[in-house]
Amino acid sequence: MESHLILLSLIVFLPAAGALALAFFPKDKPELIKLVSLFITIAVFLITLWMAWPGGDGENGQFQKGAAEMQDAFNVPWIPSFNIYYLMGVDGISFTLVLLTSFLSVLAMGASWPINKHVKAYCILYLLLETGMLGVFMALDFFLFYVFWEVMLLPMYFLIGVWGGPRREYAAIKFFLYTLLGSVFMLIAILMLYFNSDLNVLAKVEGFAPGEAGWNQLHLGPAAAELVQADGAEPLHTFNILALAKMGQHTSLFDDEMLWGKSLQWWAFILLFIGFAIKVPIVPVHTWLPDAHVEAPTPISMILAGVLLKMGGYGIIRICYPICPDAGYDLAYVVTFIGVLSMLYGAFAALAQKDFKRLVAYSSVSHMGYVMLGIGVWSAVAGTNYNPEYWQLGMNGAMFQMIAHGISSAGMFFMVGVIYDRVHHRNLDEFGGLFAKSPVYSGLAFGIFFAGLGLPGLCGFIGEVFVTLSVWNYSHALAVVSASTVILTAAYILWTLQRVYLGAEYKGPHGDHITPITGRELAIAVPLLAFAIWFGVYPRAVLDYMEPSINQEVDDLAIWTRDVKEPRLLLERNRPTRGAEEAVGMVR
Amino acid sequence: MEPVGISHFMTVGAIMFVCGVVCMATKRNALGVLMGIELVLNGANVNFVALSSDFLTTNPARGLGLDGQFIALFVIVLAAAEAAVALAITLNFYNNHSTVDVDRADELKG
Amino acid sequence: MELSALLPILLGIAWLLPLASFTLIVLFGPRMGKHGVGASYLATSAIAIGALCSWFSLFCWFGHYGFKPAEHGAGSQFAAADHAEALTPALSQGEKETATDHESYPRAYTNDLYTLGQFGSLKITISYYIDALTVGMFAMVTLIATCIHFYAIGYMHDELHDVTDHEVTLSDGHHLHRPGRFHRFFQYLSLFCFSMLGLVYAGNIAMVFVFWELVGICSYFLIGFYIERKSASNAANKAFIVNRVGDFGMIIGLMALWGGLGTFAFGDVTDADGKVERGIFSQVRDPANGYALAAPDGMVRSAAFDAVEEIAFEHPGRLMPGAAASEINSRIPSWRADHYGYWLLVIAGVGIFCGCVGKSAQFPLHVWLPDAMEGPTPVSALVHSATMVAAGVYLVGRFLPVFAPEVLLVIAYTGCITLFIAATIAITATDIKRVLAYSTVSQLGYMMLALGVGGWVAGLFHLITHAFFKSLLFMCSGSVIHATHTNEMTKMGGLRKKMPVTAYTMLVGCLAIIGAGIPFLIGFSGYYSKDAIVAQALSFSLANPLHGAVFFYAAVGGAAMTAFYMFRLWYMTFAGPPRDHHIYDHAHESPKIMYRPLIVLAVFAALVGCTVPDWFPALGGLGVQNLLEQARPAGELGEGVLMAGLAYPEEHASHAHSIHVQATVYAFSTALGGFLLATVFYGLRWLNPADVKQQFFPVYNFLLNKWYFDELYDFLFVKPAHFVAFLITFVDRRLIDGFIDNLARWARKLAHFDDLIDRYFVDGLVNLTAAWTYSLGSSLRSLQTGRLRQYVMLIVIGLVALSVLINFASAR
Repeated sequence: MESHLILLSLIVFLPAAGALALAFFPKDKPELIKLVSLFITIAVFLITLWMAWPGGDGENGQFQKGAAEMQDAFNVPWIPSFNIYYLMGVDGISFTLVLLTSFLSVLAMGASWPINKHVKAYCILYLLLETGMLGVFMALDFFLFYVFWEVMLLPMYFLIGVWGGPRREYAAIKFFLYTLLGSVFMLIAILMLYFNSDLNVLAKVEGFAPGEAGWNQLHLGPAAAELVQADGAEPLHTFNILALAKMGQHTSLFDDEMLWGKSLQWWAFILLFIGFAIKVPIVPVHTWLPDAHVEAPTPISMILAGVLLKMGGYGIIRICYPICPDAGYDLAYVVTFIGVLSMLYGAFAALAQKDFKRLVAYSSVSHMGYVMLGIGVWSAVAGTNYNPEYWQLGMNGAMFQMIAHGISSAGMFFMVGVIYDRVHHRNLDEFGGLFAKSPVYSGLAFGIFFAGLGLPGLCGFIGEVFVTLSVWNYSHALAVVSASTVILTAAYILWTLQRVYLGAEYKGPHGDHITPITGRELAIAVPLLAFAIWFGVYPRAVLDYMEPSINQEVDDLAIWTRDVKEPRLLLERNRPTRGAEEAVGMVR
Repeated sequence: MEPVGISHFMTVGAIMFVCGVVCMATKRNALGVLMGIELVLNGANVNFVALSSDFLTTNPARGLGLDGQFIALFVIVLAAAEAAVALAITLNFYNNHSTVDVDRADELKG
Repeated sequence: MELSALLPILLGIAWLLPLASFTLIVLFGPRMGKHGVGASYLATSAIAIGALCSWFSLFCWFGHYGFKPAEHGAGSQFAAADHAEALTPALSQGEKETATDHESYPRAYTNDLYTLGQFGSLKITISYYIDALTVGMFAMVTLIATCIHFYAIGYMHDELHDVTDHEVTLSDGHHLHRPGRFHRFFQYLSLFCFSMLGLVYAGNIAMVFVFWELVGICSYFLIGFYIERKSASNAANKAFIVNRVGDFGMIIGLMALWGGLGTFAFGDVTDADGKVERGIFSQVRDPANGYALAAPDGMVRSAAFDAVEEIAFEHPGRLMPGAAASEINSRIPSWRADHYGYWLLVIAGVGIFCGCVGKSAQFPLHVWLPDAMEGPTPVSALVHSATMVAAGVYLVGRFLPVFAPEVLLVIAYTGCITLFIAATIAITATDIKRVLAYSTVSQLGYMMLALGVGGWVAGLFHLITHAFFKSLLFMCSGSVIHATHTNEMTKMGGLRKKMPVTAYTMLVGCLAIIGAGIPFLIGFSGYYSKDAIVAQALSFSLANPLHGAVFFYAAVGGAAMTAFYMFRLWYMTFAGPPRDHHIYDHAHESPKIMYRPLIVLAVFAALVGCTVPDWFPALGGLGVQNLLEQARPAGELGEGVLMAGLAYPEEHASHAHSIHVQATVYAFSTALGGFLLATVFYGLRWLNPADVKQQFFPVYNFLLNKWYFDELYDFLFVKPAHFVAFLITFVDRRLIDGFIDNLARWARKLAHFDDLIDRYFVDGLVNLTAAWTYSLGSSLRSLQTGRLRQYVMLIVIGLVALSVLINFASAR
């Protein structure tokens, strides 16, 4: 327990500690400050890599592949009077994202070298940002999660607003307000859930009494167990995400009608979903993304696309669906429809862009649509005899797509940044002929853009194909529409490549500044392409980590559909049966 | 013929008080005003002394009877001090303005 | 070594060597010898070793199974039902022959190499499926690829030094001058060989799709090899995007298959525990059901969604899924009898075929192939005639067991329309490579037609023969272009004197493609394959007079047009007096490294169609047809369900004497007619083609503009797509962002208003109080006169007033 506390806290707070240390550094040594920051990010990456190293058995803190439950979890009281705990842990869903974060942080720090304005402040904010991102993925206490969510928000605002392009203030404020709106909704939902939660009720559910296996997996801490055993009169609220999920699935605590005939969890789902959807982002709340990307400096774009967008998807997988399954079931079609809409909308919008970075940003909207689609394909219903396999495929595809998009979009933004650093413009109509001028750079760019295009053998393909294949058994119509995206994706990526890299000559300004790619840039681009190829050829490298946890979640929800939701639906149709009675007698 | 009682003393005190006030309000000479003040104070003293006199009172349960006399003594002392200060001010005023007409002393007006 | 272990290894080596070559050239290409010349040796030796492996496997196959299909392989189609019990699949450690009964089921080896992802019973893997078709395709692809690699060493030697590209004019008016890219060409070629062989090697349709995309991207790179030319990169984009349109359909097909079957594997795969996972073929055509086509359980179940739901509701709660599952399974046969799931099978088939339409350049997606001729000629020969574009035909052949009769009819019509349209365009084209490109499209249409009318062997046989003669024709045209530096046939003529080897090998190719031969005796390769197609079309038309007639006349008419345009090409290029003396004078025969592969291919193009007669010692029965016959999928094609009356005759019926003779006579005579017409117009020049042009100007113009397909698609799809994109950007910028920005603006206005309230109302109130106090003070100020006497008076009056008041108050 202590070792887990130290390990995870080290990962999360090492960057913050580094930021604190940097505050005492002299301002006039930017190179030194950048180097120190780089070493800190590398150190974090090495720790996570050590955790991920194959062969971990879960004993000494290393991550155990193939295990579905939370690992390295610990629980320390933080604000006990409000049942707030310093509770963190990783499972397959979060650990892969933690790895992605620490990896991209190193690369983006490497990409920060051309930044020469207020280097010290930049590095401090950057490291704080990393702390926030890692914390979001590891926190299992809702309150802690929210705190990290906000911690991540503020440095981002400054990083865009100070180091950005000409319209940076507009973009930064837009980003900030959008996300803040989302997090306000989230906070409301958090409080709604908190005040309706009751550990006493959960403890009455079979298998979740204190001391039993189900209880132990929730990492509620000894204090909560004592309270539950002592007295059951007062409701015992909790912020524990795992416990809330169990309450959502095994009790009817969140089923009370709240407003306009909808239950509490329906509203909580809507609020949380909006909060996360803004982050993903999905149409129509995506317009902060192109502006933020266009104005943000290259490394921040990499982080933004590579990690920040994943928080939305992560939140939906980790929080929305497990805690509010009833709403998830009712709104599954909305979620998938929005996913498909984003895919098409983003692709069409990308087709019309003239700004290189804007195009890549819209491609992100399109690609993240796959994530929403894969998450939402609730095909484990009566008509498929509760077969969860296709949903597992979709959910895994969505997670894989997040990782793959993290790599390919970060790579794409970096590739745009490389050329922007040289010619200082991004107008797609004023490029051309780069392949002849800078073949190594162009070759790498082709590889990375093809990963975005979803070419087999590269990472983008796996996620897209998994998701697309999972949709058919959910809805034929959505499946067909989602498949059509491949045409548009090919169109905008190939057209872009043609305008930028092919052709006889360079058409824009500063043509003589186009120099071959440097060693530093190579050291950033090559790992990205290498991972894109590795994950594309051998996706199990990622799937082995996350699959058990995701399958567990999907199985839980499928069982919930079978045991709770369907009897409930039958009741609504006035067709009570044995199972329905059983559901009515659910623990209250 | 009624015996001399408190009301007689109080009548005298009131007459002295009114005379003093009239003197203060009508005299333009600062010294006159001072004299008016003395009259007012002494009028009050008469009342004090009279009201606290055992000899004059008809109420046996009235407790110690020397309070008024003491206060009258205090008033006399204060009046002496006050007269000293007032005469000093008047003297100064005279030095500055070569007059003791209080109507000319309106420098404190709002 | 067991064949089951040997073949995967040999073919695997042939498959992976080009990948190794590609990787090495990517990493070290420019440093391989002078100007990267070593890259060509590496790539060529990789594919040459691959060819050796492939041919060795072919020999092993022959050694094991003989040249001929098992006795009465044909009759087994009917016999299969009787043998149903005997067909339970037999297993052998890890590997498995799909069926031990050689008479009724093709011999195939299949197994997984590794898993990409597994979710419950769903598994997506990299695997192989090797049968006679696979081995034959490997032999064909590697042989042609090797020849073309050698040829390309000669053809591309310009790239060994700096190149001046005369087709690209820079903004300063000069022609582009650039360093050579010799190694890069071979890098792409190697990647292409890897992808193409992987496509053939693949053991499941998902892996086919993977390599399908990869050959697409190789094609993209190779078409756009001259990256500086706008036309080349446009053509490359067009090729890939049009292919993606086909892939869109293919993905739908894949989804339908996956949703219904839960597997992509072709054959049954035995995993390490000895558990058999049933592949697509055995699910769609159950051996226990006599290999008859039927919607598999999964598709029936998913089509009967509502009924399954009802059953699940009947067995609710924690009893699930055991009780419900057994009831659902027991109801499946009755659902199937009601044709549940059949539609899904049709969708799957049409979807998969859409992919083939894109890749094999069938109508309506044929438009990319002619433009693809922007690539260097060896690419056209390898990728865009012999191998990649044939992949669609290959897949249709591979997937024939899954196609319902209705789908086959769609395939046949598509092929029929394609072959006609492309042939008409080829007649008017003057660019030598475009003529060949349209000819390729037309021939691919032939293959599709053959497969669509049930001619499994006929279609794939034509695929093999066409690969040889069409790559030969392209390489010859490349040789001509190499010599004349122009593609326009109108500037050529009489070249046979200057370049005899090219001219006569090309003549062999032309004769092969038109199906020349001595009827009923012997002929060039095309003679056999085209006859088989015409015969099959005829056989089909006997069973289905309405559709069949269309197909038959299209096939015969196509034969005439083929003969006409091919000999038009040959005559215009090689015969008669030269049209442009400048070009003629500079023309020369190509170097040895280029014309020797031509001779090799010419020999194959001439002979590959023949089957060694049975009486011949040792080699009796050797031939492509017999090899393919060994891989023929089991089971009848059956009759239409949705379209009653659609009946498929089995292919061997077309070998019947009456049909065969009739077909040969038709095909030969029409081809002869076309040949004679071409000779009259272009060989002997008795008639002037310009007169005909004049006469039929609208038709000529229509054909010259390729039926206006490009313009039509531009109008129908490209422009609307751009418009929608523009619209969406507008929505984003103006509506959503406008809304957000307006929201912000209103918020600011509100804030301003709030500020006004603060300033004038709240503050005003406070200030007013202060002002009042002030004015009160200043008005009271006059009371303070500084006059002592007044003060005293006031005090007195106040006192009096007070005492009066108190008096009054106490009086109450």
